[in-house]
Amino acid sequence: MRSIDIHAHTFTRSMFTTLDSGQDWYGMHYEGEGQQSLFIKEGKRVGINPKLRFTPEERIEDMDRLGTEVQVVSLHTQVFGYHLDAAAGLAQAREVNDDIAEFVQEAPQRFAGMATLPVQDVGAAITELDRSVNTLGLKGAELDTVVNGRNWDEPEFLPLFQAAESMGAVLFFHPQPQHNIMLERTNRLALPNCVGVPLEDTLLVATLIFGGVLEKCPDLKVCVAHGGGPACFGLGRLDRGWQVRSEARVNISKPPSAYMRRLYYDTVVMSETALRFLIDSVGIDRVVLGSDYPFVPWDPSPAGWVQGLESLTQEEKDRILWKNLEELLGL
Amino acid sequence: MRSIDIHAHLTPQCFWRATENGGDWHSLRREQDSRGREIALVGDRRGGLPPKARWTPEERMTDMDSLGVDVHVLSPYSGFYNYGLDAAVAIATSRDSNDEIAQMVKSWPDRFAGLGTLPMQDVKAAIAELERIMQAGFKGAMIDDHVNGKLLDEAEFLPFWKAAEQSGALILFHQGDGTIVDFRTDRYHLPNTIGNLADRAVTFCSLVLGGVMDACPDLKICLSHGGGYTCYGIGRVDRGWRGLPDSPTKPEQPPSAYLNRFYYDCIVYTEESLRYLIDQVGADRVLFGTDWPYDMVFDWPVSWILALESLSQEEKELILWKNLEKLLDL
Repeated sequence: MRSIDIHAHTFTRSMFTTLDSGQDWYGMHYEGEGQQSLFIKEGKRVGINPKLRFTPEERIEDMDRLGTEVQVVSLHTQVFGYHLDAAAGLAQAREVNDDIAEFVQEAPQRFAGMATLPVQDVGAAITELDRSVNTLGLKGAELDTVVNGRNWDEPEFLPLFQAAESMGAVLFFHPQPQHNIMLERTNRLALPNCVGVPLEDTLLVATLIFGGVLEKCPDLKVCVAHGGGPACFGLGRLDRGWQVRSEARVNISKPPSAYMRRLYYDTVVMSETALRFLIDSVGIDRVVLGSDYPFVPWDPSPAGWVQGLESLTQEEKDRILWKNLEELLGL
Repeated sequence: MRSIDIHAHLTPQCFWRATENGGDWHSLRREQDSRGREIALVGDRRGGLPPKARWTPEERMTDMDSLGVDVHVLSPYSGFYNYGLDAAVAIATSRDSNDEIAQMVKSWPDRFAGLGTLPMQDVKAAIAELERIMQAGFKGAMIDDHVNGKLLDEAEFLPFWKAAEQSGALILFHQGDGTIVDFRTDRYHLPNTIGNLADRAVTFCSLVLGGVMDACPDLKICLSHGGGYTCYGIGRVDRGWRGLPDSPTKPEQPPSAYLNRFYYDCIVYTEESLRYLIDQVGADRVLFGTDWPYDMVFDWPVSWILALESLSQEEKELILWKNLEKLLDL
């Protein structure tokens, strides 16, 4: 039985080489005791999960334990460099993408890779996506749900989507796990992660739909983390808004629900009932295995959780576990 | 067979009268846009008002008859929370609005029940107004998901929750002064169509994880718009709860165990989502609501519920009136 995991985070070798030598890595540096915490920028500090340091061999050992055959690895969004000046952003992306490509090449049967892009400069991002896909062999790119406060429906980003569409690159959207929109209200009660993350995912889905990105790029391949958040559950209200508000119809000729099945969604929805609802909403050909490695303790494992679900048929499980991603990524 | 609507707003006649000919209602004003649409001017905010918002009680009841709705549990227009204005303004507009609702309930007791509005930026005044209206026969009050950015589990609001619990008031949560999505975009009506649902989930988390539901075990809360994203996203909230450090207010049970402590209106627009909500929270926790008279209102709400194939007759009756009959003693 195959299993392909679209949602697997990593840091990179060069990042640690630089940090361990005591130097700054694109403005980031260790803080406190034991190299367990990273200063990213003013107001943003993150812990370092030890598994994000794994070598390919160590990670494969862990994947064997979890029964994951293939991980599509991507840079943990917390160290994304969208806030850097354009030159530094490009340098970081090139270094990261070289590292991820090298990581994948250590065991091409067990890994595929996603690039990171310097989207503060759209032209540079397009060039780097082209290099990543056509030279380095990566499958596409992972993107944050927002770019320095700007949404993806801004016209400046359309050329990037058109480029990804023409290259056949897959775009995997993933928000900041802590430093997201919820901070506008509070950082208490784990709300940025509990509610802010799925809210970011849902805003991204709505932005691509209402902004006309999916209408303008019909062959664009997009996967949204965390099952797209509660976008599918709240779809009726989005449709109602489209019906009664002219500002919701400026870019799209059909109700938002007509576009939902154009995206892919991973399985990180945290309950069987929610996953069943997602499948029934978007179609079984649009749901793919994601683990959020190494952050979610799946019972008993990412693939094992899907295998154990009573409300899914074996064919549905096969589609989620590998068939959909085999097709989407050409694995 | 009855139908009782928990989510029906009133833009009070006292506002319309006072703002006639350029006058003001405790500093609130009104103008018409280029297309003749009425706009309420509240501080620096502008709120569009649909024609129905001006209807008299008699006109409202005619519309209720055509929709097959027997009872409106009235709540004031959420654009008039006025939490961001001087407390004196909010106190005055709350009293006026609530007095008008009281008069409607007194005049047509079979057609109307009342939820008040409260000056939440002044907790003592809010408690005093809540106690005043509960003595006048109100069923509770409607409040925003935040008070000038503060969530409702902040310690300063605990006396309010104690007073609500003690008086048996039902507190209906409904956005008013902007949602969290306003911080990101003003496009495509998303501050409403996503923001309302997000803010309702934030409120659920705030009251549960912030310890309010444990501190006030008899508190009656209704989350409008089906509780927003609460029931669908509860799995991730449970996981967040596990990771929270121990504190005096951290609940012993996971948040999902609190789903059936709340009530939810049925404004989720699709049969699949309503079925999901019922399955998550229980049919005894879902209340009929319509969002009358705004553009996001449920079209033909009673016949929509009655025609749903995935609900049993008993579930439909619980939602349409039995739950509210019992909860509000109507």
